[in-house]
Amino acid sequence: MKNQIRLAMFGCGTIVKSQHLPAALAHPDVVLVALVDASSDRAANLMRSAHLNCKISTDYASVLGEVDAVINALPNHLHAPATLDALAAGVHVLCEKPLATNSADARACAAAAAEKGLVLAVGMNRRYQDNHRLLKLILEHGMLGTLEGYDWQVGGPYDWNAATSFYFSKAEAGGGALIDYGVHLLDSLTDWFGPVTDFQYEDDDWGSGIEANASLTLQHKSAQGTTPGYVRISRTYPLSNRLLVRGSEATAELLLSDPDMVVVHRQVGGQSISETLRLGDGSKPPSNSFHLQLDNFIQSIRGIQTPYVNGLQAAAVLELIESCYARRKRIPEPWSELEPSSGALA
Amino acid sequence: MNWQHKTVFVTGATGFIGGRVCERLIQAGATDVRALVHTSKNAARIGRLPIQLCPGSLLDQTSLRQAMGNAKVVIHCGLGIARGIVKGTGNLLEAAASAGVERVVHMSTAAVYGLTPRPGSETEETPVPRTGDAYCDNKGEAEKLVLRFASRGLPAVILRPSIVYGPYSAWSTRLIQELKDSQAALIDGGNGACNTTYVDNLVDAIFLAIESEQAVGRAFFITDGERITWGDFIRAHARMIGQEMTGEETIPDISSQEIRSYYASQPGILVGSVKAAGQVLRSREFRQMLLRIPLSARALAGLWRWSSSLDEQSRTRLRERVGVRKAAAMATQNGRFIPDEVTLATQTGTVFFSIAKAQNLLGYQPRIPFRQGISLVEQWLRFANYL
Repeated sequence: MKNQIRLAMFGCGTIVKSQHLPAALAHPDVVLVALVDASSDRAANLMRSAHLNCKISTDYASVLGEVDAVINALPNHLHAPATLDALAAGVHVLCEKPLATNSADARACAAAAAEKGLVLAVGMNRRYQDNHRLLKLILEHGMLGTLEGYDWQVGGPYDWNAATSFYFSKAEAGGGALIDYGVHLLDSLTDWFGPVTDFQYEDDDWGSGIEANASLTLQHKSAQGTTPGYVRISRTYPLSNRLLVRGSEATAELLLSDPDMVVVHRQVGGQSISETLRLGDGSKPPSNSFHLQLDNFIQSIRGIQTPYVNGLQAAAVLELIESCYARRKRIPEPWSELEPSSGALA
Repeated sequence: MNWQHKTVFVTGATGFIGGRVCERLIQAGATDVRALVHTSKNAARIGRLPIQLCPGSLLDQTSLRQAMGNAKVVIHCGLGIARGIVKGTGNLLEAAASAGVERVVHMSTAAVYGLTPRPGSETEETPVPRTGDAYCDNKGEAEKLVLRFASRGLPAVILRPSIVYGPYSAWSTRLIQELKDSQAALIDGGNGACNTTYVDNLVDAIFLAIESEQAVGRAFFITDGERITWGDFIRAHARMIGQEMTGEETIPDISSQEIRSYYASQPGILVGSVKAAGQVLRSREFRQMLLRIPLSARALAGLWRWSSSLDEQSRTRLRERVGVRKAAAMATQNGRFIPDEVTLATQTGTVFFSIAKAQNLLGYQPRIPFRQGISLVEQWLRFANYL
């Protein structure tokens, strides 16, 4: 097929195996030409398990001359360096979140893409879920009335089967639950409710820089007004895994378990009623956000679309995360704070 | 104890007890804690701490030695399954002996005397019997290994806590869910000995065992030192969710005799479960169908018990594919919940273990009484969204 985009995967860990690779193999405009990973065994195993015949490399620089685009799913601390190298070589980049472990590096990536006229898309796949677009429509059309606030809680025992342990290194991950998962929530929230103008932040980091729990009280400002909200993220506790957006007329509910719908609750004639809203006419199959994200990346390379999340937007969210870490307060854990006694703690 | 610059190696660090040990070490000023991490999947709690997460396995001698590094103190909370308990402990002891560690604290269990300890097992001098239960017997075998290494000069101590509870404990999270689901009962009025051990009391004992010269080569029961029954424990949790508030009993009471009669009237449960296993493992649909049938649910309960004798990998695979734990609590008769046989055995003991030896030789004094421990658990359960 002519004009196919020659694509390489940087990193062959869980997210590539489970999401990016299936999306790439399903896309008619993409030809996968290389798998890159620090472990050649991991790359080779992935190639075999997917019945592929492509180049395997442990050095991403060695494939840059052979591809048009890369999906960068290396450990977080390598996102920015590899993205910058790819852009310098004239290669478009879809980079997993977070784009960098700090906002300065993210801005450097955005500047490099702009300078070279290349596409830099950031893997905020939740933007492509139906419920994100549905809530945006609901808010734009004032279906909830005057916005009163939101409450978003996402959490459960951490069970991401990462290929390496970088998630528990501050230097490699950039932080814990907030930068890993909160980056999705903050990106969506700023898209729905506007930039954050004020916040309070707490987490339970005991000194490693890898918090398991984080909570934020936020205030957004947009043309529609000011919206307060509360976010709680946990890698240890089973939270409700839902977003409630309260308005004067109705409340919208988004469930992690079904990203294709939004439930709107309201009072009618003194009765509580709920409507389940979905995109389309009811015959639409479930959407796959990674497939849609890749397609948006490909269409952006072709100049037909622009990325849902570009480098500057990603940098703005990282700036907020940096501010959170800089102003963090410790979540009180009274069950952990014992008075030393009888020499046992001494 | 001056923990600064003393390297401490903790196994089982991603678990409930090991996680708290790591937290307490940091609170006590330890600056060089190495935690053995088999998989980072469960590492979020200890990932918050300024400690080294060392990849490795108790069943892999090379990775174990690397992870241990130049540790001077080893706190062995790693569990393992079935024979892995013994092999993993053996590997650890060998590594510790060759590294010349100054102290090993081995986390055993009072269950070396069985899930229902015989009367007369109140003190550590009672010989450890063969119980017929894979977990209990393997923990007993692991103790023998520790004593053998201690007799050859390894400064090792054995602690035998009983029902260790506290924040993050599955005893509490599971019980809360069971109470909410009406899947909990008092057996014989809830009068069985519970032998609670609040996790921080246990960690106090661990720290004392590291310091005490008299502790080496000995085993110690560690409990809260109170005569807490299963009824006390279950009712305390029920109150957290608004049950048992009026003084009127809301938790069903069932006699141990009735439970035994019930299971005795179900001949061939184990055989049936083994026969069913192949089909269960092959078919998700069949499994779901089975779970809707009380008799088969009981068969799965039997399967759960049988699975405890499997190696770790097989058991994990079985658990993941079959979801037997849920099924194990599904036995009902005329709509009435029937506790499984493991629960029956655990909650009908009469022995309250003595902590006199730990008090005398370690200087152990349980500083968190049950009332306070339960209050801390409740605070944590509320924060953790279980209540």
